[in-house]
Amino acid sequence: MEFLRPSTWDEALAAKAEHPDAVPIAGGTDVMVELNFDRRRPPALLDLTRVASLADWAADGDRLRIGAGVTYRRIIDELGGRLPGLAMAARTVGSPQIRNRGTVGGNLGSASPAGDAHPPLLATGAEVEIGSVRGVRTVAVADFFQGPKRSVLAPDELIAAFLVPAATGPQQFAKVGTRNAMVIAVCSFALALDPQRRTIGTGIGSAGPTPLRATEAEALAAELPWEGKTLPDTIVQRFGELVGAAARPIDDVRGSAAYRRHALAVLGGRTLRWAWEEHRCA
Amino acid sequence: MTSTQRQPTQSQPAQGQPTQSRVQDAAQRSVGTASPRIEAWDKVTGRAPYAVDHPVPGAAYAWVVQSTVARGVVVDVDTSRALAEDGVLGVLWHGNAQRLESVGDPELMVLQSARIAYRGQVVAVVVATSPEAARAGADLVRVREDGMTSDTVLRIDHPALYQPVQVNAGYPARSAIGDVDAGLAAAAVRVDATYRTPAEHHCAMEPHATTAFWERGCLVVFDGTQASTAVSETLAGLFELPPQSVRVINEHVGGGFGSKGGPKPNVVLAAMAARLVGRPVKLALTRQQLFAVAGYRTPTIQRVRLGAATNGRLLAIGHDAVSQTSQLSEFVEQSAVLSRHMYAAPNRLTTHRVVALDVPTPVWMRAPGECPGSFALESAIDELASAGNWDPVRLRIDNEPAVHPEEQIPFSSRHLVQCLQEGAERFGWTDASGRVVRDPRPAVRRDGEWLVGTGVAASTYPSLTWPSTALARATADQRFDVEVNAADIGTGARTVLRQIAADALDVPIAYVEITVGDSAIGPATVAGGSMGTASWGWAVTKACRLLRERIERDHGGRVPTGGVAVRADTTLEIRDRPEFSRHAYGAQFCQARVSTMTGEVRVDRLLGVFAAGRIVNPTTARSQFIGGMTMGLSGALLERSVLDSRTGDFVTGDLAAYHVAVSADVPRIEVAWLDEQDPHLNPMGVKGIGEIGIVGTAAAVANAVHHATGIRVRDLPIGLAQMIGKLH
Repeated sequence: MEFLRPSTWDEALAAKAEHPDAVPIAGGTDVMVELNFDRRRPPALLDLTRVASLADWAADGDRLRIGAGVTYRRIIDELGGRLPGLAMAARTVGSPQIRNRGTVGGNLGSASPAGDAHPPLLATGAEVEIGSVRGVRTVAVADFFQGPKRSVLAPDELIAAFLVPAATGPQQFAKVGTRNAMVIAVCSFALALDPQRRTIGTGIGSAGPTPLRATEAEALAAELPWEGKTLPDTIVQRFGELVGAAARPIDDVRGSAAYRRHALAVLGGRTLRWAWEEHRCA
Repeated sequence: MTSTQRQPTQSQPAQGQPTQSRVQDAAQRSVGTASPRIEAWDKVTGRAPYAVDHPVPGAAYAWVVQSTVARGVVVDVDTSRALAEDGVLGVLWHGNAQRLESVGDPELMVLQSARIAYRGQVVAVVVATSPEAARAGADLVRVREDGMTSDTVLRIDHPALYQPVQVNAGYPARSAIGDVDAGLAAAAVRVDATYRTPAEHHCAMEPHATTAFWERGCLVVFDGTQASTAVSETLAGLFELPPQSVRVINEHVGGGFGSKGGPKPNVVLAAMAARLVGRPVKLALTRQQLFAVAGYRTPTIQRVRLGAATNGRLLAIGHDAVSQTSQLSEFVEQSAVLSRHMYAAPNRLTTHRVVALDVPTPVWMRAPGECPGSFALESAIDELASAGNWDPVRLRIDNEPAVHPEEQIPFSSRHLVQCLQEGAERFGWTDASGRVVRDPRPAVRRDGEWLVGTGVAASTYPSLTWPSTALARATADQRFDVEVNAADIGTGARTVLRQIAADALDVPIAYVEITVGDSAIGPATVAGGSMGTASWGWAVTKACRLLRERIERDHGGRVPTGGVAVRADTTLEIRDRPEFSRHAYGAQFCQARVSTMTGEVRVDRLLGVFAAGRIVNPTTARSQFIGGMTMGLSGALLERSVLDSRTGDFVTGDLAAYHVAVSADVPRIEVAWLDEQDPHLNPMGVKGIGEIGIVGTAAAVANAVHHATGIRVRDLPIGLAQMIGKLH
């Protein structure tokens, strides 16, 4: 197995163009497990940890541009205030050791339907910045995932960064696992309220072939009493039902499809209530 | 290489300065003093060498190839491609492996025949100059297997179930007193329920691993084992060597929980491989390989029948346990044995049946018998309390036996009632006057979306003691070296043995060095059955007392220039002990909550109160109790090894799929113990504490879940699948 170690972004793109079957590796928390379990034996690994620019983040207008190599730990420590939903999701990833290594870029690259970062990125309308020797393009997260562990990345492309608006209102994330930490989600749900625009963003994890949005639930935003009023239980319930209905789960070792739908309905209603309380008290 | 490294302690005597002064008496007792583990610093800094950490020049590395069918034969093994791989030194399989002499355990007769008895059985071993080359070579070994229909599922009506002669630990399989059916017929309140516990895996941090080399006809082995004496004796038998030609060193062992209680295939394979290539060989099994090769706790199906009179006195106790074993060797979990002494009743019946399936061989796992058995019995007692409208603490106290109810011999000490009373008060189950303040009604306490409840269960574990030997030496500079072939598997064994030695010598503990973990020291028993401290400590006590006596009597209280040494063996003392029923007891209390919305089950609080003889070291003892209760909680809520009936494979074969409790799952755990004095145990007055903590925890959790929700879970682990749809 070849081990490629570019030290700049341009070198990385050149290496990927030359070795399109090379698997990019950042924190290694997904890739190394697959290698160790012998599920995958790529002809080459492309180590991105020397590419310093990938570990940068900066404000870009009203959005943040966050390098693909920023770890979960740094998302929590440095961006928790501006991206509360993503930071909440980051806190549920693995153990402290995993959070010190794992990156959101890697999460996107693996494109697992269970990736913890995906629901908050969906809920906030984030975009993925993709580079290659051919140029740069950005793709909405909602269009990025193509199926289980499949994305729109071409063989010569690498994820450079993701672009996400700083929170303009309350955000929530909730995850069901069969234990309280170090667990792959049975299902997860992220929610972002935008009181200025009067919109709700949603993201469903681990309950479909890709991370999903609950668009019908989002449409309930028009019915919410945005002027600081208490949220009627009927809306909370309806919202939860629509979240559950938007899921496309299967039965697997972690949980049944029926349980996932049920749990998502609960998580949907619950996160809406939590976020609404915050909005009302703001 | 086996001397224990110790951090500097205060008041160390200056080394190497002979003294003419008398041996100084201890100013205070060491036993009973809280102190951290001697080797803690070495462990947390990575300096403590485990089995394959020992630097051995020229070591080669072995990698196993496992069967992929649950039952069948190996038709052919093609090693040509593997042998052509760079770095591969040799491939062992049954066609070229050396013949072994049987020692009675077919599991250890590795690579001796073409027969495959379970999926994951080792069918070949590749030895190479690096672990990577060995693994690559293992991928290139072509094993042609002829698989047959396999039978891998334990059922209560399995036609091949039979009653064995004995169950684990030598108990009879069946025990009957009076007439259980008549007792049940006469009872006013009855319970007849069937409980199931799943297969579970130990998942010790250090995998089963061995470094082995041959030197002038002698075999030297570093093995991660709980019993280096037993491993050395077994290897001597298998390889037909004189016993003194095998040395097994286990200075540090990264956990075992029973899975390293006896020799496992890894140690035999490493020795064979080292002989094949004429170099030292290191063999460390991977986490995934352990699930088939290193043993597991059998699943159990247990029927418990209880009948009580209107006053709550038990008239009948029936406990019928079913478990599985492999086609290779018979291991029978003694799940019903605790029901022979926990409660008084005139009519009693306990039975065990087992079936040999095409599965890996089950083995001891922390509190074999008592752990799954207590889930069944202590859940059933709780069901009886509900049915009879009795308080579960009171019901247990009312059925306290005066003597062992089946053997009619006295208990050496038994303070179950005191544990229940003390625990009930600490937990808030009763008030200071002993009056029950717990509301017995199920499913009435709400905390937002949560239903909250409390439960109790009793714990017990036998207080065993086996013969051991120990060596104590005094040197002229007033230092004392004490050696015993104990295995410190992370329990604090060497720390408490040093305390025991200091008191038996009656010298300050700083003058005492302790060495453990080397079969060359002399025979000693396994770190298992919660008997290490009692068994090794007795030998240490005897050697140390004799040594001090000899210094006083023969040398006027002064250690001569040449030093003095004493070896002690406790075989006769243990044989001649009077007959008593010796057990530790305890009570565990749990508060649990269940979400009415998601069905998730959380434990808020666990309290364990134990009566386990004298506690040598409160620090390490607390860790043992808490560790046991944590493992019990983990078993109650999470642990389950799922075997695919089509393939005979444990599909939960790694730590991402086999869930053990993580810190975030573990609530406040409180531990207390009674100051129990028992003169009938051993010179130290200790009972074992390594296993009792796991006994009863799952029942306490299940009983709390029932109190919270009204839902009775008889099938571990307790998960939201059993809750959802039944909550209101």
